[in-house]
Amino acid sequence: MSKKDDILKAAITLFADRGFQDASMTEVAKMSGVSGATVFYHFKSKEALFLIALETVKDGIIQEFDQYLSEHDFESGLELAEGIISFYLYLAGTMEEWFLLLHSHYPYKLALVNEECRSHLEKIYNSLVDIFERAVALGREDGSISAGDSRKTALVIFSMVDGVVRFKIYNLYDTGALFNELINSCRKILKYKM
Amino acid sequence: MSVITLFSGSFCDNEKVEASLVETTGSTLVTEQEIVEKASSLSSIGVKKIKEAFLEKTSIFNKFTHEKERSIAYLRLALAEMLAQDNLVITGFPAHLIPNSISHVLRVCLIAELKHRLGQAATLGTVEKEALKLIQENDKNCSTWVNTLVGNNDPWDKALYDIVVPMNTTSVEEAVSLISEKSQSPAVASSDASAQAVKDFLLAARVETALADEGHNVVVSAKAGKVVLTINKNVLMLKRLEEDLQAIVNKIEGVEAVETQIGKGFYQTDIYRQFDFETPSKVLLVDDEREFVQTLSERLMMREMSSAVAYDGESALSIVDEDEPEVMILDLKMPGIDGIEVLKKVKATKPEIEVIILTGHGSEADKKVCMDLGAFAYLQKPVDIDLLSKTLKLANDKIKKQGA
Repeated sequence: MSKKDDILKAAITLFADRGFQDASMTEVAKMSGVSGATVFYHFKSKEALFLIALETVKDGIIQEFDQYLSEHDFESGLELAEGIISFYLYLAGTMEEWFLLLHSHYPYKLALVNEECRSHLEKIYNSLVDIFERAVALGREDGSISAGDSRKTALVIFSMVDGVVRFKIYNLYDTGALFNELINSCRKILKYKM
Repeated sequence: MSVITLFSGSFCDNEKVEASLVETTGSTLVTEQEIVEKASSLSSIGVKKIKEAFLEKTSIFNKFTHEKERSIAYLRLALAEMLAQDNLVITGFPAHLIPNSISHVLRVCLIAELKHRLGQAATLGTVEKEALKLIQENDKNCSTWVNTLVGNNDPWDKALYDIVVPMNTTSVEEAVSLISEKSQSPAVASSDASAQAVKDFLLAARVETALADEGHNVVVSAKAGKVVLTINKNVLMLKRLEEDLQAIVNKIEGVEAVETQIGKGFYQTDIYRQFDFETPSKVLLVDDEREFVQTLSERLMMREMSSAVAYDGESALSIVDEDEPEVMILDLKMPGIDGIEVLKKVKATKPEIEVIILTGHGSEADKKVCMDLGAFAYLQKPVDIDLLSKTLKLANDKIKKQGA
């Protein structure tokens, strides 16, 4: 890994752990074993570093999902949906700092005034919801899913799953115990016919 | 022939003018109640619920709830369907829903001084105290309604109408003859353009109701089959929202093209966010000098402080009860309950509200009384807006400190 990658990795961890305000460039430097000047040489400001950290998270999530989907075969749309839900939870467990960053308030505040930040977030959420939506649409075609509106159903399922991730990363509950019920609930929503 | 809209204050002889105008011009009367009933049957929202769109009970500081937006959308649709006919006299709140592009509408406002309105109420057997309350309530509703639709706090503003008839100096006969004469004027005659504007209004209303039914709230305009949707809410997944809106609207008959754009409100949150911490967000202005208080409200708005307005002590107190402002800017000299009395009551029931006295007739003795009663500051008119902003900021600091 290059120095730049080391810095980024440290930055993601620190931003995720402390939030934007309380993470300092000096600490990023210390953690990645470089001088403060090197950090500023690669990333002009804390905000610039944050944006690149967010972009890294975005690319990471998208890449992980692409890989997961290319390596697995699914019999039906419903099975695909269940696979995605499980993988989302798995990813949130293994790459916790990505999701801590996504569940912090700062990027959304920055997105209001910073187009680049906005665009990263929009891409992350669009690609995630798109994956859910594709599964719902596929399931409607093959008959395994009978929910009425693919787009809205995808959003609702996604917000439910993401809510469970929040439960996990903030240690609100032992989410392992929720997994089966989550899958059951999603199945109910997906199979429910109005 | 043209369409006449009559928007009037309560107790301004409006019923007499309406009846006589219908007779003189041979028009069909379309009352507010009829439009509400039609909107109700189009939407299956109850009549009572729809009428709540004319009130501002929930909170004057907050944007309309989704239910109100939906009601207004259906009121527009009901009105748009009725406008297919000509030769109408439309009364009440719906008058303000008609866009200016429909040029064959003569917009009339009937209003009178308070004294005259109280006199009218007395002849109808309403006692003065009750009448005053009714008038204030009505004025407040009118003001909120007009503000919601056209962003103007003053429902009697001349700029909103073709004619504003002062009913305290005009008889019913004179008013009717003035209005019917003006309604013959070529300026308000039907034309191809105004007929097209009615069709556009109808299409926009159909689109708006379809979107409202799906839970969306966007500004809709239509021109010859081309629909423009303006998103006034900050949404991160913007493209997704735009696609969803387009998918709904494209299905509607008569829609040839749909375009989405971002409105001012899309970026608004960041401004409020920046200022939220420094200045109070809920300011109530209490002063009977309408013009002064409206100008002040606008100037505060430019400094990112949303303010509500009350023109007398009694309505001020009811706003305090319902909406809990953070800071109140209060005039001392007002008819009815005066400023000192308001201050006493506020400090007795809601001591956390900081009250800034702003008066034109101040004295050291008054100042002492107010400060002893717990006022936050005592300022003299004319006030320097920077000084007032600074005082508001200080009041906010105090509130935040106490809240912490």
